[in-house]
Amino acid sequence: MTMLMRMAWRNIWRNKGRSLVIMASIALGLMAGISILALYKGMIHAKVRTVIDRESGHIQLHHPHFRDDQHPAYTIADTLALNQIRQQPGVQAAAARVVTAGMLTTTSGSAGVNIYGIDPADEQAISKLDKKIREGSYFDTQTRHPIVIGKKLADKMKLKLKSKVVLTFVDTANTMVAAAFRVVAIYESDNAPFDERTVYLLRAQLSGLLSTGRQIHELAVILHRDEELDATASAFSAMFPDLRVETWKEISPETDLMVSTTDQYSYIILVIIMLALAFGIVNTMLMAILERTREIGMLVALGMNKLRLFLLILYETIFLTLLGSPVALICSFLLIRYFNRHGLDLSGFGQEMMKQFGFQNLVYPEFPWDKLAGLVMIVAATAILSGLLPALRALNLKPTEALRK
Amino acid sequence: MNGKTVIDAHNISKVYNRETIPVYAVNNVHVHLERGEFTALVGPSGSGKTTLLNLIGGLDRADSGEILVNGIDITKLSGSKLIDFRLHNIGFVFQSFNLIPVLTARENVELIMHLQRMPRAARDQRVKQLFDEIQLSDKLNSRPAELSGGQQQRVAVARALASKPQFVLADEPTANLDSKSAANLLDIMLRLNQEEQITFLFSTHDQRVIERARRVITLVDGKITSDTAPVKVTST
Repeated sequence: MTMLMRMAWRNIWRNKGRSLVIMASIALGLMAGISILALYKGMIHAKVRTVIDRESGHIQLHHPHFRDDQHPAYTIADTLALNQIRQQPGVQAAAARVVTAGMLTTTSGSAGVNIYGIDPADEQAISKLDKKIREGSYFDTQTRHPIVIGKKLADKMKLKLKSKVVLTFVDTANTMVAAAFRVVAIYESDNAPFDERTVYLLRAQLSGLLSTGRQIHELAVILHRDEELDATASAFSAMFPDLRVETWKEISPETDLMVSTTDQYSYIILVIIMLALAFGIVNTMLMAILERTREIGMLVALGMNKLRLFLLILYETIFLTLLGSPVALICSFLLIRYFNRHGLDLSGFGQEMMKQFGFQNLVYPEFPWDKLAGLVMIVAATAILSGLLPALRALNLKPTEALRK
Repeated sequence: MNGKTVIDAHNISKVYNRETIPVYAVNNVHVHLERGEFTALVGPSGSGKTTLLNLIGGLDRADSGEILVNGIDITKLSGSKLIDFRLHNIGFVFQSFNLIPVLTARENVELIMHLQRMPRAARDQRVKQLFDEIQLSDKLNSRPAELSGGQQQRVAVARALASKPQFVLADEPTANLDSKSAANLLDIMLRLNQEEQITFLFSTHDQRVIERARRVITLVDGKITSDTAPVKVTST
């Protein structure tokens, strides 16, 4: 440790109470920032998992025009593609879907819905629909025309188990088709808007009504590992040049946007916290400079140049700032680890609101290891910026005037 | 004295309130000091002693005149060069000691050598030599708060000498000391002056100090009113 660092270190302990208060505030501020990052990371991770594991899967394949138009005539061959995909390395599961948009009508009103025709066994591996059933049983085969609807839609349309609904849509020949279905199960996911607009039928029944035969509209794929996403999507594009291959990021761009912007928001919040703390640090250091005016004047008189004086003040500020950081890191790590194991229930902040945005109420914060470098840079920048004004104040002292204080 | 000029200041003036009612703190003063002098600067309060010391020490800028230290006109030096010049050429002893409270006695003295980037071995040797001279070898690791006023001022003298300066400027070095400590400090300063030919210029009101000076410059209202010839000191 150089003489300047030794002096700086001892200087910050000249007023222990003041230094400890500022260190504690830095530790608390940093803890708050890390906790926010961890909370966001946990929420976003859960959101991404919901999108992949419960909604879209990792990759989807469609007819090139289907996603733009959703006309039932834009189909792809079922068995050919599905079997090929299932044999690809890295693929955990794949399911075929028939999809159309239509109108759900009951005695109390009507609502626009996305209608999915699924194979119940295959769908379990993709969207885990069976795990989301809150009432009824997952495609009870005793019922002739079963339909599974979301809780949000059931509440809105006042539907219960065994309620009858009529679905209206156009088939491949643009003919209006209407058919009655009976509610066999009500599901509830973490995404209320999704629950409100998505209903599930048996694929064979919907194919029959749409006149698509064995053709399907959508192939949803789940991979073993998220890291294989881009490589597998590229392989599929090469295998099926006539189909549109999209990853979950393209299927759910709002989620991808959320992932990328949340990091930025987190950093902005952290910067604001540190900026507020910087005022405290600046104030503390200015007080310290004021108290040591005579001493600083003497140092300059003896021959301490401006660079060294600047470094002395800067070291003090950096020590003051950085000392709170390990405490913040350790405390936030322990706090986050606890809630990562037990979950943090945010339902008290608005259960419905969380669901409206597709978030789970129980969040498992994750320690933001990937952002530690950024955190360190923000803290270091805070320390340096906070040291500038006091250092400049010290540099501007005239030795003869300072010595008279 | 060996006749080598250390300080040669000509026509130096320092004026305050130049725009309103000018006050001459130092008025057209000439000071010539040779190596090995032990000179007291005396005069009533407000006579300009501290201002003159500050000008000669490069702590303040003269409004006119030139101050040559070893032939270098310090009034022409830039701020940073002046700081560097002070570090290598001038030692300071202040009235209220002004030791760094967070550093030990040894570190206070070493600080100057650190600033000079002196190698560790040379620093250690110099520290030992200086603390032997000020007779505080047993207080090396004491903080200033653990030392008496006299001891602190002796450490301040050691600090002033650490850089092996051309001369030492001392502003009322005995003002805050009791008579015994003041006498002790003077003994040390005189011994360093005689044995190592270190030039001392100090302001003082203390008659005991004035009596032991070999030359006395009297300043009144910013002007030198008398400058006694150097006298040989026979005992310390």
